This record gives sequence, structure tokens and C-alpha cells, in this order.
Amino acid sequence: MACHFCDTLHEATAVPERTAARCRRCGVVLYQNRPASLVRVTAFSLAALILMGIVNLFPFLTMEANGIKTELSLYRASRELMREGSTTIGWCVAVFTIFAPLVMAGGMLYVCGPLLRGRAAPGARHVARWLGHAEPWNMIEVFLLGVLVSLMKLGKMADLYFGVGFWAFAALMVCMAAAVAGIDRNELWDRLEVAAE
Amino acid sequence: MTPRLPRAIDQGLANCHVCGKVSPLVAHRCPRCGSALHLRKPASLKRTVALLLAAAALYLPANMLPVMTISEIGNVMASTILQGMVEFWRREAYPIAIVIFVASILIPIVKIVALVWLCAAASGKVHPSPRILGRIYWFTELLGRWSMVDIFVVSILVALVQFGAYMTVTPGPGALAFAGVVVLTMFAAMSFDPRLLWDRLEILEASENPHSTPDRE
Repeated sequence: MACHFCDTLHEATAVPERTAARCRRCGVVLYQNRPASLVRVTAFSLAALILMGIVNLFPFLTMEANGIKTELSLYRASRELMREGSTTIGWCVAVFTIFAPLVMAGGMLYVCGPLLRGRAAPGARHVARWLGHAEPWNMIEVFLLGVLVSLMKLGKMADLYFGVGFWAFAALMVCMAAAVAGIDRNELWDRLEVAAE
Repeated sequence: MTPRLPRAIDQGLANCHVCGKVSPLVAHRCPRCGSALHLRKPASLKRTVALLLAAAALYLPANMLPVMTISEIGNVMASTILQGMVEFWRREAYPIAIVIFVASILIPIVKIVALVWLCAAASGKVHPSPRILGRIYWFTELLGRWSMVDIFVVSILVALVQFGAYMTVTPGPGALAFAGVVVLTMFAAMSFDPRLLWDRLEILEASENPHSTPDRE
């Protein structure tokens, strides 16, 4: 294999669990051996999908001022922008908070679930490629920081209540991070290659 | 001198950008994942510079134009990113003010400067110190997404603060420019190829020792 950072060629050898192989020249991590990788990714991505359902079904934040109640949900956060004329940003927000996480969690489950039994799902190659493209655009942790900043901004203006959706969203962030960190990219592709044969 | 380590490019081998499998370039497509094979990311420097120019052009409008408008009982107040930060500072919410300053003002400009420097190093205009610059590249890729936080704040406020005549928040033109800066710098970081820094170092070392033949194990 070759280092993606400096192009130095290496002989890929198996490394013990919980350790990583580093490049001889530039020192970046080449590949890692994560314990129980497939089980972890499958479990966490399944949990993330369930949490996504909860996040979208239950209110996220409720705000009350002057006798009027408004509710925040991921869907409303992007739709209101589109309604106010900022269609492009509305779509950006939808992609970063709804579609990219959905592709990530759904894709990981679709690829890693069948791999647990040593099988490659039909079209798993394409799905795994999409995983790589979607990863940088999954911004749920940034959105959570945005919620905190908004809370500080609104704090004195109105009464705010956290809904079930908010806690589900916080849990979703943890599950997504655990699922993404659960398997090394090279390991995923190696397993897929073996299973496809 | 440390012995030269073999590179994939010297043997006509391409490292797949998507799945990381090394295959001969003549195969054109990666046998494992089916992506197109390249020795280096295609037109990496041109693409990065073009995207950076676009991002830099949007940087001023992103910070000068209001990202949102707050209408409160007849009062209409436009708010830029900087004003939002100053507002937090005045209310003595220092940690939040610092978070906004770092995420929305510092990171985008640092990212643009860092990538310009990386491009200059990769094209041989300044010394390519791949070890340090590689780390800088890694940081710019890691931190870029956090600049999006202000856009999310706008989207949350627009969705939540809809109280008719009493108080309403509407998105402003600065938001689009700001989102543009963040997305363009993210694409610029993705299209930059850090291996170009090592290539440049290789060329530099070869020109410094023209008589020593590279020994390969």
C-alpha cells in the first residue's frame, strides 16, 4: 500500500488490535486495527438511524414568547430558510444536517451488516464510495454547537423548553462519531473485496 | 543521508483516492472500488487556487453584509457576523464570543492563507517543509466545517423566532456569501494534494545532490 500523504510504498502487514501502522517517512497513520469493528459500526449506525427517526418525530426546542409558541426541528430549520427566500442556504442546511448523516448511517449499516456474515450486499461498492463522499459534509456536531449559541442569544428573550428531539440529537451525535470511528477505511474495503469474491 | 524510500509514483503505481488500494496506473480504474485512478489528484493546484480566489472574493461581502435581520416591534436591525460577536462580548458572554470569533472570523481567513501558502510551497515558491505544512493541511481540513456554525445559528433563529409583529428574524444576504466561503474553502482543501509537497522536496533534494544516485532498497 502507499501513504496517502507522501506516496511512500509500504508492505501492508497485520498490526495488533488497538494499534495503528504509521508511515515510515511522514508518520501519518496508514491503517488501524480496531477491535470488533464490524459489530460496532453495525450497532452504532443502526442506533443512529433509530435516533434520526426520533429527532424528526419529536420537537427539538420549543420557544414561548408573548403567548405564541414556536417549535424547532431539523426539518423546519431548513424549510423556514427556503420559505424566507434563502433557498440555497436552506438546501445546504438540509444536506449537512439531514441528508449527509442519513447517507452515512444508512450506508454503513447497508455495507457492514451483511459483511458480519461475510457477504457483500448488492451494490455495496457504490454505497461505500458514497460513504467517503458524504463524510466531510456530515455536520451534526456543528449544528449542536449552533443550538448552544442560539440558546445564549435567545436566553433572555423568551422561555425555552428542550424536547425529546434535542436529547435524541445529542445521542445521535455520539453514535455517529462512534460509527465513523469504528472501522478503518482500508479495513472496510479489504473486507468488502474478500466478501465480493 | 537517510536512504530514499520508494514512492508509488516511481513505479507507475497509483493510490486510489477513494479506497486506498494501490494498482498500476495503466488499469485506469481501481479494480477494488471502480474509481478513476490518478497518480496525483488531477489539476490539484489549479483547482485549489481557483476555489480559493472565489472564496476570498466572497470573504468581504460575507463579513460586511448582514447575515440576518431582526424586526422587533417596528425596529428593524440588521446584524453582521462581527456585530453578533461584539454583542456577546458586551453581554459578558466571553466564551461564546470567542467561539464565534474563532469559528466564523479566524478559521476562514486562516484557512485561505494556509492553503495559499501550501499552494506556493507545492509549486516551489517557498520551501516545502512537508512535515510542518502537512500538519497545517490536516488542521485546515479538520477545522473547516466548524465555520458553518453561524449559518446554523441563522437557520435556528429564523425557524424559532417567528412571532409576527412582535419579533421576527429573516435571513440576510451575508448568509449566502458566508456559506459560500465555507463550502468553497472545504472544496479547496479537498482538491489540494499533500503529496505534491513531498514531490517538491524530492526535486529539491535531487538538485542539491546532483551526483548522488538515489539508492533504493
